[in-house]
Amino acid sequence: MDEKLKLIYNAILEGDMEGVVNNIQAPLDAGVAPGEILNTALIPAMDKVGQLFEEGEYFVPEMLVAARAMKAGLEILKPLLVDSGVDPVGKVALGTVKGDLHDIGKNLVAMMLEGAGFEIVDLGADVSPDQFVAAVRDGVDVVGLSALLTTTMPAMENTIRAIKESGLRDRVKIIVGGAPVTAEYARQIGADGYAADASQAATLARELIS
Amino acid sequence: MKHRERVEMALNHERPDRCPMQISFTPEFVDRLRADMELQGKQVHNPHGGGNTYELERSLGEDMLLTSVGWANSYYMDSKPYIDEWGVGWTVHPYETPFGQGHYTEIVSHPLADAAAIPSYQPPDPNRPELYGDSEQMVHDFKDEYWIVGVTVTTIFETAWALRGLEQMMLDMAMDPDLTNHILDIPFHYHLTAAKRLVELGVDMVWTGDDMGAQHQMMISPKMWRTYFKPRMATLISELKALNPDVKVAYHTDGNVEPIIPELIEIGLDVLNPVQPASMDPAKIKKQYGKQLSFWGTIDEQRTLPFGTQEDVANEVRQRLATVGYDGGLILAPTHHVQLDTPLENFWAMVNTIVNTPYETL
Repeated sequence: MDEKLKLIYNAILEGDMEGVVNNIQAPLDAGVAPGEILNTALIPAMDKVGQLFEEGEYFVPEMLVAARAMKAGLEILKPLLVDSGVDPVGKVALGTVKGDLHDIGKNLVAMMLEGAGFEIVDLGADVSPDQFVAAVRDGVDVVGLSALLTTTMPAMENTIRAIKESGLRDRVKIIVGGAPVTAEYARQIGADGYAADASQAATLARELIS
Repeated sequence: MKHRERVEMALNHERPDRCPMQISFTPEFVDRLRADMELQGKQVHNPHGGGNTYELERSLGEDMLLTSVGWANSYYMDSKPYIDEWGVGWTVHPYETPFGQGHYTEIVSHPLADAAAIPSYQPPDPNRPELYGDSEQMVHDFKDEYWIVGVTVTTIFETAWALRGLEQMMLDMAMDPDLTNHILDIPFHYHLTAAKRLVELGVDMVWTGDDMGAQHQMMISPKMWRTYFKPRMATLISELKALNPDVKVAYHTDGNVEPIIPELIEIGLDVLNPVQPASMDPAKIKKQYGKQLSFWGTIDEQRTLPFGTQEDVANEVRQRLATVGYDGGLILAPTHHVQLDTPLENFWAMVNTIVNTPYETL
């Protein structure tokens, strides 16, 4: 990896937001394409964060500071990526399902997906089936449903049913996660996949759209 | 056998006549249960205290009664949005179950979200005598018969995240140790004072703790727990035991916290709660740590109680008795308040299997 890009990569891993911001201009000035910075520094750094999370080296706080640093870099790159015609790898609508206000799990998934190159449509918490259907209608590749509670988990099934009834089920991949959710439950309710954590959600979304 | 003797024996790692039992409930589940039991509860049940007569708990044959002082009492405080005395903003949010609509109180605003508010923040005073009236009364009324638990859960981390916001609190923990220590000390000092006062009032056990586990791993690293939480918990446990060497201390944390269990034992913990079985295998934890630690909880609230059959529930109870409770050291309880999505048949399968399974029949 180019030394200048390595500085950005390392700053993300260390959660050093200023380091990312201070080091991102040099490669741009040197003529490195914004898409290359994204694909060679930002995305691999967040992949590494996910790997360290899976290995039990990083936990939620380390993931949060890394994502914050990555986001600072991405904010600088975004307009340049648009100008140079670099598209996101896919578009994901995320929300915590109806009745449930807990959003840190969903927010972590959003951060890891953004760090994997996806465009995120964050629908927030307490999202009704109709709101998810509207997001699918607007055009997304993946829908992610989150629930923390056994009492709100059934809203996932209602949401998937609403997407089916709207006739849009074939247009979109649906992934689910949250504390009480299991792979078996995901299969039962007709989701395309289950992820146990934010890092796995990013891996899963990539697989499903490839 | 008196209820308190049953708990005392279990916590001394002896086998009482049957396993002790403790259960708490969400308010709407209580409405269903009271109707089922033809009990005349007059007020909305609050699982964190607030004028509880313990009629339901005593009718069910529970062995421990709980009295709570601290920020956790802000849950279920009102049926409309409110701001608690710490400045934390709450909303009341409905959810639907096959058994009707329930309501959770959920945090929506944090008084220390803006760092500028931190230096001048004044927490409530834990020395107000009126905070302890209910606890004093219930110790007086019930201690002869029941094992009394003084509750100061959400001791450090959970109150701090309510004050600051969870994501911001975790960013602080990773980036600004001085600010983190300043914020964590606010609830810590409050709940330390409350816990000591409860010990002075004569409670048998103090229930302390914070959620440190996520479903599959710890939320924060063991290293971070060692930095911020272990020293404070060590201080709390030693100060409580200095007041009364016989008082027991229980630690609550949801999720998987296997990596820190040896260090909880090292700082003098007696009881781990709730040992969430979808996150940690209770039988394995018992094998590894059962000589030094007792367990309170272990009945699955994420699958078995809401979604299992009566047979599943009864089997789970019997399995815990055989694999965790066989030599004492276990107080059976659901791993959280019983939720409205729980079928009454499953609830009764749990209660009846616990109450009707003498250890000698195992």
